[in-house]
Amino acid sequence: MSVETNDGAPAPPFTGTPAGSKATPYVNSRVQRNEDARLLTGRARFVDDVHLPGMLHVAFVRSDYAHGRLLSVDAAAARERAGVVAVYTSEDLGAYSKPAPLLVPPPPIAGLVFHACTHLPLATGKVRHVGEPIAMIVAESRYIAEDAVRDVVVDIEPLDAVVDLEAALGPEAPRVHEHLASNAAAHVVQRKGDYEAARSRADVVITRRFLYDRGASAAIENRAVVAQWDTQAEELTIWDTTQAPIPIRNGLATMLGLPESQVRVVAPFVGGGFGPKIMMFYPEELLVPWAAMQLGRPVKWTEDRQENFYATTQERGQVHEAEMALTKEGLILGVSDTFLFDTGAYDPYGLTIPINTQCTLLGPYDIPNYHTEFTAVFTNKTIVTPVRGAGRQHGVFVSERLLDIAARQMGIDRVEIRKRNLLGPDRFPHNHEIMFQDSAPLVYDSGNYLPTLEQAAEIIGYEQFVRDEQPRLRAEGKHVGVGIACYVEGTGIGPYEGARVTVEPSGRVRVATGVGTQGQGHYTVFAQIVADVLAVEVTNVQVITGDTREFQWGTGTFASRGAVVAGSACHAAALAVREKALALAARLLEVEPAALDIEGGRVFVRGAADRGFTLGDLAGKANPLRGAVKPGTKPGLEATEYFGPDRGSTANGVHAILVEVDPETAMVEIKRYVVVHDCGTIINPMLVEGQIHGGVAHGIGNAFYEQLIYDEQGQLLNASFMDYLLPTATDVPPIETAHRETPSPYNVMGLKGVGEAGCIPTGAVFAQAVEDALGDPRFEIREIPISPNTLFNLITEARRV
Amino acid sequence: MNLTGTFTFDGPRTVVWDLLQDPVVLAKALPGTERLALTTEDRFEGVMKVSVGPVTAATFDVVVTLKDKVPPQRFAMQIDGKGGVGFTRGTANVELAEQPDGGTLMTYTSDVQVGGKIASVGQRLIESVGKMMMRQALDALARELRVRLEGNPHTP
Repeated sequence: MSVETNDGAPAPPFTGTPAGSKATPYVNSRVQRNEDARLLTGRARFVDDVHLPGMLHVAFVRSDYAHGRLLSVDAAAARERAGVVAVYTSEDLGAYSKPAPLLVPPPPIAGLVFHACTHLPLATGKVRHVGEPIAMIVAESRYIAEDAVRDVVVDIEPLDAVVDLEAALGPEAPRVHEHLASNAAAHVVQRKGDYEAARSRADVVITRRFLYDRGASAAIENRAVVAQWDTQAEELTIWDTTQAPIPIRNGLATMLGLPESQVRVVAPFVGGGFGPKIMMFYPEELLVPWAAMQLGRPVKWTEDRQENFYATTQERGQVHEAEMALTKEGLILGVSDTFLFDTGAYDPYGLTIPINTQCTLLGPYDIPNYHTEFTAVFTNKTIVTPVRGAGRQHGVFVSERLLDIAARQMGIDRVEIRKRNLLGPDRFPHNHEIMFQDSAPLVYDSGNYLPTLEQAAEIIGYEQFVRDEQPRLRAEGKHVGVGIACYVEGTGIGPYEGARVTVEPSGRVRVATGVGTQGQGHYTVFAQIVADVLAVEVTNVQVITGDTREFQWGTGTFASRGAVVAGSACHAAALAVREKALALAARLLEVEPAALDIEGGRVFVRGAADRGFTLGDLAGKANPLRGAVKPGTKPGLEATEYFGPDRGSTANGVHAILVEVDPETAMVEIKRYVVVHDCGTIINPMLVEGQIHGGVAHGIGNAFYEQLIYDEQGQLLNASFMDYLLPTATDVPPIETAHRETPSPYNVMGLKGVGEAGCIPTGAVFAQAVEDALGDPRFEIREIPISPNTLFNLITEARRV
Repeated sequence: MNLTGTFTFDGPRTVVWDLLQDPVVLAKALPGTERLALTTEDRFEGVMKVSVGPVTAATFDVVVTLKDKVPPQRFAMQIDGKGGVGFTRGTANVELAEQPDGGTLMTYTSDVQVGGKIASVGQRLIESVGKMMMRQALDALARELRVRLEGNPHTP
């Protein structure tokens, strides 16, 4: 493992343990996951595992139409069905029927136009996408509720649907939201330098149109909500598959008119989040707790897979018109990119995705002049919110493809043109002068890009492949190609997270933090950080996440920020507990704290190991039954600390891939997949690799298999895993990874995020490699996903030219 | 879904015309029809059961309105079906031309939209199911025609 700083000089790696400690650090080692025993033996609790006495079950009546006037909803027959307890339509909700909150207000960008149109709990007046909920059935069983769905008579007058992004902005297009002048949800222009002037100096200008289409996040666990109003405790408990239990608790308390302290949201184990389980205030999330309070009985709803295809948010529809201006040496003078972004029927998540696209397009390159402009477009399709990568892959696809095309046109090697344009290690912090999604300017904190690219090229054997192997295999009639693509990823954004670390009298350590966990390994990485600071066994540290009763301050798991922000808070809280333990032991032993060592769960006088206390003993002594806690101290070995970075930390990496294409069937076989990745200090290499493997699998799906097909009336045509293809184990090759560590200066441990990295450059690298394999100058890939069918058509078309 | 085609009936145009306007005949001929009745002039209402791939025996309330009738030459239909698993909506045009041999050539075109669950899980099969139902219906109508002309239900 190599460790480098910005100037290339080796820096001491972050060890996790404060100076002077002798313990072997857990940070930076392959610690096995604390959560796996529970997960692998089926003892982990998921929301659907919650069974309460007297619990009622919910099914939703959803729109079959993408766009239409909701003329009437007749629920009389459903209400009469035996076992149905209640049926709610929009009218029945009364004052509770309010638009959901705007979750992320747009950043302060001059001239920004944004129309917030968020969803209602139940459709009112109009339906705007297939699957939009119209009525809620609450019954004694899910079977009865589902049967009662068929009893509800919904009268909808169909309207023409808005599906195609470009047609949506035409003067004749039907309007998704009639109070707006058009289907434009937002318009944003960001500029750096002067692109037009740069273009006029350019030797070469590459202009292309690029498409990226929608996919599903396809988490293995669908969404679920259970709510119980406890009349004796006067407390509402909500089990929710959310990535952000605290904002959900705060929002629901306000909407339901309850103090925050009377609402508890628990996000237990969650089977994959990937973005759509963020603090969405989905209709189901709003309605299940409300119904539980109305009816005085626990209420449960678990999404089925088909509902997930309609009702859980999706991502990725964009159309780009992009241009790159270069010198004849292949140096980028500037980039201009104008794109349309499909936000679906509503826009509760603001502009996070297209702003990520704007920012991520710049990649690791020195791009002095940049014009980036987008229009967000309302369509009659499922709502769009971030899905792993969250717009970043589009930016990478556009810039990497433009570089590939420029390299080919100018006869420059693909790796070479990238090397010529990389930001050097002396260029950090690097201010890109445009605004990032966290409302702070886009500043790269650190990075060392050239060695990352060189290492990826070396591992895949780029030079040797291009020089010897490819010509040899081509002579044998094989179509093999190599792709190599770079990316930079803004991660670990604020505002903040917190953690409470408690040493119990048993000596066990408890860590509570607000972020929810969806399989990443939080119970292990947070334990590693705390175990190092307190010099205890990692298995002795119990982590609790995602329960607002345990920790009630924070935001959530998104933007590759859990380890960076919550991890840093855990570190700070553990350090505070360590100081407290040392100070107490010093007082009791009548020595200076500096004379003490902490190791193996004990604090003792250096050089006299028998003079000391276990941490458990100290925890007891810090909470005495007689005597006074000294002024200026707090009882217990416990501390709560927070971490809020001014801005996110910048991870980067390079993906390299070898493919073989059968031009007759257009099937692509991935022969090798290499990821060289720099996420700063690595807490657990095994978990980083796991994140990368999962991300690459997700990316391969996006690149080659997964596409949500909507017809011209907004009907989703492949809402099942029979027709919507996820990559399976045989489609994902073994992934070779190498880690580099350029620590972030923005947090003590030097952490950067990694959760989304694996799927960000996958489309770009896949397109480049397939193009290279076919080796036909008439053939160019400008769209993702590039399914076998699309690829076949492109090959056929190129041959006709 | 677009279904278009031609079919030759072995009988005179006026008889074919009457056949195509008779709800009792149509109910027998259209596969899966549970009920079909002429409720008002030129308006048929009924219930059909259709199976498409994984969606088995989906029930639809169907309303067919006849329009632009030029007996016995041509008519158009507005089709609206609604059910628990989705909806169908569209138009169809039927033309009947007398043939020199005394038969009747029917030319039909239709443009039917299918939406909701049935579209999203049965998409790959909808068109073939539509064609199959059409073929079965036409064969049944041809048999019915023979019965009318010959008065013998057992003629092969």
